[in-house]
Amino acid sequence: METTTAFNVSEALNRVDGDQDLFFTLAGLFLQESQKEAAANCVALGRQDGAGLVAAAHKLKGSVIEMCAPSLFECTKRLEELGRQGELAEASSVCADVEASLAEVHAALRKLIAGGFPS
Amino acid sequence: MTRSSHVRHSVDRRMMKSNAMQSIGQDAGSSAQTEPPAATILLIEDERVTRTSMAARLTRLGYRVLEAENGLVGLDVARRERPDLLIVDWMMPEMDGPTFCEAVRRDPLLKSSQTLLMTAHDKPAQIAEGLMRGADDFLSKSASKQEIVARVLAGLRTSRLVRKLETTGSQLESSMRLLQTKQAEMEADLQSAADFVQSILPEQGSPVQGISLAWEYQPALTLGGDLFGVASIDAEHLGLYILDASGHGVAAALRSASLMTFLRVENMLQLIGSYDPEKVLCEANRQFPLSNEGEYFTLWVGQLHLPTRSLSYASAGHHGVLLSPAEKPSRWLTHPSSPLGFDPATVFPGGRMTLQPADRLFLMSDGIYEASSPTGEPWGRWRFQQAIETQKRSPLASTISHCFTEARRWQEQCDFFDDAAVVGLELTI
Repeated sequence: METTTAFNVSEALNRVDGDQDLFFTLAGLFLQESQKEAAANCVALGRQDGAGLVAAAHKLKGSVIEMCAPSLFECTKRLEELGRQGELAEASSVCADVEASLAEVHAALRKLIAGGFPS
Repeated sequence: MTRSSHVRHSVDRRMMKSNAMQSIGQDAGSSAQTEPPAATILLIEDERVTRTSMAARLTRLGYRVLEAENGLVGLDVARRERPDLLIVDWMMPEMDGPTFCEAVRRDPLLKSSQTLLMTAHDKPAQIAEGLMRGADDFLSKSASKQEIVARVLAGLRTSRLVRKLETTGSQLESSMRLLQTKQAEMEADLQSAADFVQSILPEQGSPVQGISLAWEYQPALTLGGDLFGVASIDAEHLGLYILDASGHGVAAALRSASLMTFLRVENMLQLIGSYDPEKVLCEANRQFPLSNEGEYFTLWVGQLHLPTRSLSYASAGHHGVLLSPAEKPSRWLTHPSSPLGFDPATVFPGGRMTLQPADRLFLMSDGIYEASSPTGEPWGRWRFQQAIETQKRSPLASTISHCFTEARRWQEQCDFFDDAAVVGLELTI
């Protein structure tokens, strides 16, 4: 099975017991929701709102778990921790990492959705 | 379906449920005939991807899954649907998981619900906080399928047990209410019967000219088995008796009422032509044999000829009659004899004596003088007699009341173990 560096396709599919339909449903939802959650991270940072950043990063982290994207997961987790610690200056830099990593996952997902799983 | 349409595809849960039921046979049932209704799980999670994924997994396992996007909505759904298991995310807007758990524990309808707190937190302090605030268990968001199944099955198992306990408790409560109602009805019936028995006891005061009558009676239970009677036989004779049925309670009271009816003056005059105490006892002995349960009566019968103040009496095993002359020491009017019903050929020896003005006669049941102290020592006939002696100058009713007071003081409690009765007659001529 094709593997991307952005997320582990095999593991993600395994999480849904190999149900490709369900995986694509989740992937579609992830594409919609993660965009909003990433935007919420930026808004919270712009407002210097540590609690808001924690909530937004935590929510994004939860959805990332379903996609089995380890790099994005670690960035998001770090962002949540920094928000909790009030380290908002460092959080800005991590937030950029999250966006970059998220863009990679999105691209990989879109490619998979368009091409489907190899038969 | 095109590949891109997969993203808009909504999960066909009915199909997944059907598949899951086949694979999780032990929980969802292995045949259509024995299959129990699928357990209902309420999933409360604000993040859509996680919620959709978890809902699909649970549906695949054969459960009916309800979804809510935060704790407030979840509470409404839980109250409406009474799900078997609640799975709730920790961090949510509006109402977070721990606050939801607290609300569940405060809610009379939901407080016994099983709650799994779903979280990415895995630090002991956070787990402790979750448990303290009402969660029953935890489920990691990254949990494997096996862990999800295990925790959900454990939660549902507990849920079933709790609900069974609740149902049993509810049934017990219902049975208790029924028993209490029945008991109240029985007590009302007993009280009614006791009122009737009280109504047929002789009226206190002066049954005939020259005789004063007072009595006090305290049954061990609502309904007593010791009864007594004082009634005119004719213009010159007064009949009196006291009977004591073995045992106490309803059965003893019913048997006593039967003997009391038998001892009615009209009945005796019809059966034996007089109220001669010895003949009365002989007839009663024939009519009231020992019961199959071994129950019997003791009975003392007296007849007072009013013009001459001559008292004739006879006893069937009843030792509680005391003569208290005004100017002489008191003495017991009893002879060794057996109770009624042991032998139809028994003869009950009687006695005869002449009373003097102001003499008092006390008829009593053994419940009064057999009252026991906390160490088990009976109050005794001697102490009863002393109580009577010290009260010779007191009014008749006060003397009887004094006896009860002394007996209660002796046993250090108000209620008697056996029926307690004391009947006093005083010659006022």
